Amino acid sequence: MRRLLLVLATDVRRHLKSPAAILVFMAIPMVMTALIGIIFAPRTEGKELPPIPLVLVDRDKGLASKLLLGSFDVDRMKKMFQVTVADEAEGRRRMKKGKASAMLVVPERFTLDLLEARTTALTVVKNPAEQFLPDVVEEFVSTLAVMLSGAVQAFAEEARGIRAMIDRPIESFPWDKLGPELGRAQKKMAAAEKVLNPLLLGLKEEETRAAGAKAQVTRTDIFSMMLPGMAVMFLLFIVQTLMRDIVSERQDGKLRRMMTTPLRPLELVGARLAGGWVMGVAVLLVMVAVGTLLFRARWGTFGYFLALAAAASFWTAAFFGLFHALVRNRNQAGAFAAPIILAFSLFGGSMMNPEAMPKAFLAVGLATPNRWFIDGAALVRDGKFPALSLLVLAGSGLVLTALAVPALRRRTSV
Amino acid sequence: MRTVKRVLHVAGNDLRLMVGDKAFFFWSLVFPMLFIVLFGLVFKSSGGAPAVAELTVVNLDEGRWAAYFLDKIKSPTVELKVVGAEPAEYNRLIVLPPDFSARIEARRAQALAFKKRENASAKAAARVETRLYQAIARVLGEIVLYGDGDLSKFLDGHAGFRDIVRVESRFPENTVTAVPSGFDHSIPGTTVQFIMMMVIIYGGVTVMEDRKKGVLARMLFSPLSKGELFQAKLLGRWGMGLVQAIILFVVGRILFKLDLGSAPLALLVIAVFSLAMAALSVFIGSLCRKEDLIIGLAVLLANIFAGLGGCWWPSEIVPPGVRTAAMASPAYWAMDALHKLRFFQGGAGDILLNLGILSALAAVLGAVAARAFKVRD
Repeated sequence: MRRLLLVLATDVRRHLKSPAAILVFMAIPMVMTALIGIIFAPRTEGKELPPIPLVLVDRDKGLASKLLLGSFDVDRMKKMFQVTVADEAEGRRRMKKGKASAMLVVPERFTLDLLEARTTALTVVKNPAEQFLPDVVEEFVSTLAVMLSGAVQAFAEEARGIRAMIDRPIESFPWDKLGPELGRAQKKMAAAEKVLNPLLLGLKEEETRAAGAKAQVTRTDIFSMMLPGMAVMFLLFIVQTLMRDIVSERQDGKLRRMMTTPLRPLELVGARLAGGWVMGVAVLLVMVAVGTLLFRARWGTFGYFLALAAAASFWTAAFFGLFHALVRNRNQAGAFAAPIILAFSLFGGSMMNPEAMPKAFLAVGLATPNRWFIDGAALVRDGKFPALSLLVLAGSGLVLTALAVPALRRRTSV
Repeated sequence: MRTVKRVLHVAGNDLRLMVGDKAFFFWSLVFPMLFIVLFGLVFKSSGGAPAVAELTVVNLDEGRWAAYFLDKIKSPTVELKVVGAEPAEYNRLIVLPPDFSARIEARRAQALAFKKRENASAKAAARVETRLYQAIARVLGEIVLYGDGDLSKFLDGHAGFRDIVRVESRFPENTVTAVPSGFDHSIPGTTVQFIMMMVIIYGGVTVMEDRKKGVLARMLFSPLSKGELFQAKLLGRWGMGLVQAIILFVVGRILFKLDLGSAPLALLVIAVFSLAMAALSVFIGSLCRKEDLIIGLAVLLANIFAGLGGCWWPSEIVPPGVRTAAMASPAYWAMDALHKLRFFQGGAGDILLNLGILSALAAVLGAVAARAFKVRD
């Protein structure tokens, strides 16, 4: 046991002397979490999307198109849309540069068609490189079109009067006959006001939560949800890096020399596995500390999390112990380890929220440590004890250890 | 001419060794394909929302207006589920109160409770909400048209609503005609990401190992000069990126009907991008002495560049500040060029700036890598 601890301590000291690779692997989850958190975390209250850049092409240049443009100038619309008036070529250029999600084209004769109550069409040209925002523009313009249609029908007679005024010379217009017309319009306005101010029919929006559903996520929640997935992914990378000594020492003859000392193969195997385990726990705890300091991430009850970290590190050390007993040389270890870790991470939910993943990916994910660690960390965050995750990680870790120890012992007894 | 031949010989040999490695198959095809499928499906499902968005209507109205209002909401994209009481499970729900008709007929304002589940599809909710606002606008329009008359007789006969202003939507002329699929986004993104990862890891590690094992020094016993050796290493890694891109594009074409717009121009973009990454890999391989450090740096750089550069998610959902910062990522310029070619059916003129920036980056990284390149530690 003393010799085992001696080897373990020497290994830890040796790795801490050249920590560049470990530090880079520890930096990656932090950088990735920061990047994804900045992009996907909820922003200001009630506004989850940035203002949608929209180009308005006014081919009409009449009263109606000016009114339409004006409708985008109210405060609520300004928060939703960032409108630029330009011609079609400029709009297309902006879309190509990713500076416009859509282009709204107001056709020629738009004002005249409305005044004559003739069918007309607004065109929404959508940016083909974008997936979400152009549809929002289309839906908004559709609602605007319905409102315009209603207004045109309600004031069709008055609109015809205005239309007649436009074509006639001022001196030939029968101003004396306008009195009754204006009176009728006034009555309509008064009737419309009863319906529109306040709205006779409106919506009172409310966001609800199903019984047992979680509260809406904050930026801290996003960081807290992402970090465990990232942490376990890079725990795998780091422990794999540390445990590659098993192969390197065999390959470069160090192992043969070590075996000339009173050290027994089982002690060396034990030291290597324990080293991976201890370093794994330490790495996870450092990531927890950094995540808490940088992102104010919540981890839940520390004792529960420590147990989960210990189980995950134990599994990782046992797995890479077995892995390094099976591979022939360092190159082979390098070639297979990274793909295995990335596959674990992809299926296990380290790279994407498991809720968004296809079912087949989720099913495969159950065979990965990432999935059990992420699920366990979610339970710990909610104040629950991650019994199932611990059981699976520790149980399968024990099986892996039982397979790894004899295999490693065979490879160590050179 | 002999120099070119020697450089090509060594580069070809490097490429042959790398392509012959079993792990190359995983990195260049299996793993990227998993990424392509995952991101392709995710983009498809989150972008498209359900084809028909469901709306639960709790109809408590004791009059005739509820049926009239519901008729206005009906649409091929909105499915109405009318119930008599609020259910426990729903995604979106609207309540028509018992005095719904009475209040309209008395011209008394009312706001209908519209409830949305927080975790339900935001896009489906937006679609339903839009439809509700349109229905309200139609009803109000008809009531305004009806004038001051008795609204209890409105449903017995009134002027119908005409959609005088219609909305037509289309893509810009000479671009796409159909909505691009999730795979049209995920294949170029994954290709760019894996070129970075694969070229930097593989290219960097092999340069480092060849130097440490003395392979580079031994190669100088041949008629190769140090400069030619550097060129050969650079060319080998460049070829690796190109081979990987060709594999993914061909498989993408066969399995997912990938359309790149102009395939030769897309390959040109990838070629220039790969050259920059090849130079970066030689640079990192010349500086680092540990394989793990190279892998760590490659994963870090590839992920940052891919995340910023729009390989993982559409740049439209990214905050403006991050979009500006993205320009520092080589992946951004490659993805932007591929988008112009695919979605705008662009030509060479459209991607000149992208090619210029990527070429300049390749030249700078190449110069830095040539300076850092060493045959012995």
